[in-house]
Amino acid sequence: MKTLQLEFYKIRRRNVWLSMFAMLGIQILWGQWSMRNPKDWELESGWMSLLYSLTVLDGLMMPTIMSLLASRLADIEHKGNTYKQLKTLRSAASLYHAKALCGTVILTVLLASQAAVFILYGYYLGYEGNPDPRYYLLAYGLKFASCLSLFLLQLLLSMYFANQMIPLVIGLGGSMVALFVMFVSNYSFLPWGGILSSSLVGMDWDQTSSIIIYFYRDYSKAETAAVICIFIWVFVFYAAGRRLFTRREA
Amino acid sequence: MTALQKTITAERIKLRRSPVWLAFFGLPLISAFFGTNNYRMNQGILQNEWFSLWTQHSLFLCFFFMPALIGTYCSYLWRLEHSRTNWNAFLTAPVPHFALYFGKLFQGVLMTILGNAWVFSLYYVCGKFCGLNSPLPKAVLSWFLCGMLGGIVVCGVQLTISMWIRSFAIPIGIAVAGGIGGMFMTNNGWGLYYPYSLYAIGMRANNPNMEIPLGQFLSGCVVYILICCIISVWKLKRGEG
Repeated sequence: MKTLQLEFYKIRRRNVWLSMFAMLGIQILWGQWSMRNPKDWELESGWMSLLYSLTVLDGLMMPTIMSLLASRLADIEHKGNTYKQLKTLRSAASLYHAKALCGTVILTVLLASQAAVFILYGYYLGYEGNPDPRYYLLAYGLKFASCLSLFLLQLLLSMYFANQMIPLVIGLGGSMVALFVMFVSNYSFLPWGGILSSSLVGMDWDQTSSIIIYFYRDYSKAETAAVICIFIWVFVFYAAGRRLFTRREA
Repeated sequence: MTALQKTITAERIKLRRSPVWLAFFGLPLISAFFGTNNYRMNQGILQNEWFSLWTQHSLFLCFFFMPALIGTYCSYLWRLEHSRTNWNAFLTAPVPHFALYFGKLFQGVLMTILGNAWVFSLYYVCGKFCGLNSPLPKAVLSWFLCGMLGGIVVCGVQLTISMWIRSFAIPIGIAVAGGIGGMFMTNNGWGLYYPYSLYAIGMRANNPNMEIPLGQFLSGCVVYILICCIISVWKLKRGEG
């Protein structure tokens, strides 16, 4: 617990919260621009379309955001060359857990704030009815797991490489992969496709009327496997990060 | 050897054996692969040959990935200065302050130009791979030159930000946000006044008629580059890094 507290102490004045909320601000700006002036048929299926839009936004931006978060948490140790010293004061595993937990707390708050802001925006736009709490909670949980897998992957890379350019470029590449996976499929077994796989809403575009029809997805076997894969990635990246970090010399 | 030549050489030595060029090589490759794939899958709708292929290659690269990539490179250029007490060594080097800045700007601009040339080389190769037999449109040269100029603007802005903020990741976050904001600004018609949009405008990304107000674009680029140079050199002269 003390190690976790110290992690939060370390990121004081490092603008980690500010940079995360700035990213949320960009998402809000994008959402505001893409969802403004909804038509009647858009208001009818507004809550479903919101879940879909958030998947696209997050799928594209979260790999990069998670790489920024992990880099900010890890690079302080590289800069101060403090790994060896810290390991003499507590176990390596507890230090790794503290960093992972610190990022998880930030991620939880970030996603909860995002959900709250966009739900309020949905009410402001006048979406019909209320958001279905079952779907919204499930969507939150699945997105959290997908983002956590990305965060743990990035934390592993950021702690391994002293040169933070490498993990950040991998994060950017992940965003690019996620974007193009969206073009070709609605699920993926790659860690960067987790947000897409876990989307609860699908979309059909009617060419004749130019109306978009949203629907709750029925997962096929392959899609279910892709969702399960998210949790496997979480475990793999956690175990790999812990092992790598505890065995690291300096 | 002039002071500027000395700083350019020094920057080159700092970048020796760095893997930074791999990012400029790899990310456009992913973009070109998927852009071409998307073009091939939708060739029924996308019938404007080279122009249609360009829409698929340029859209996300220009608004999202290239600003972030340039931002990463600029952060990397200042990374060494931000570690330990290197600012002291940097600012007491026996060369004028403007040469210190222009040494970095030169490397940034060089990489931006090479990166852009790589994007266009991939575009040509992918076009041939897709079986486009018509000659490459002459307008491509203008897209390249204007894109290059827009890229230099992003490079100038990011160099200034990376110099100011002593963090590697935050300027990259700003570049990502700036690039996405660029899409918003361009769609609202304010792109010519926003530095991160200038690259995409120059490259004609998401621009169906492929025309731009050239005078306004050029003056916008020149103004932003000048502002960034002045601010950066002024900041270096104040010796605060």
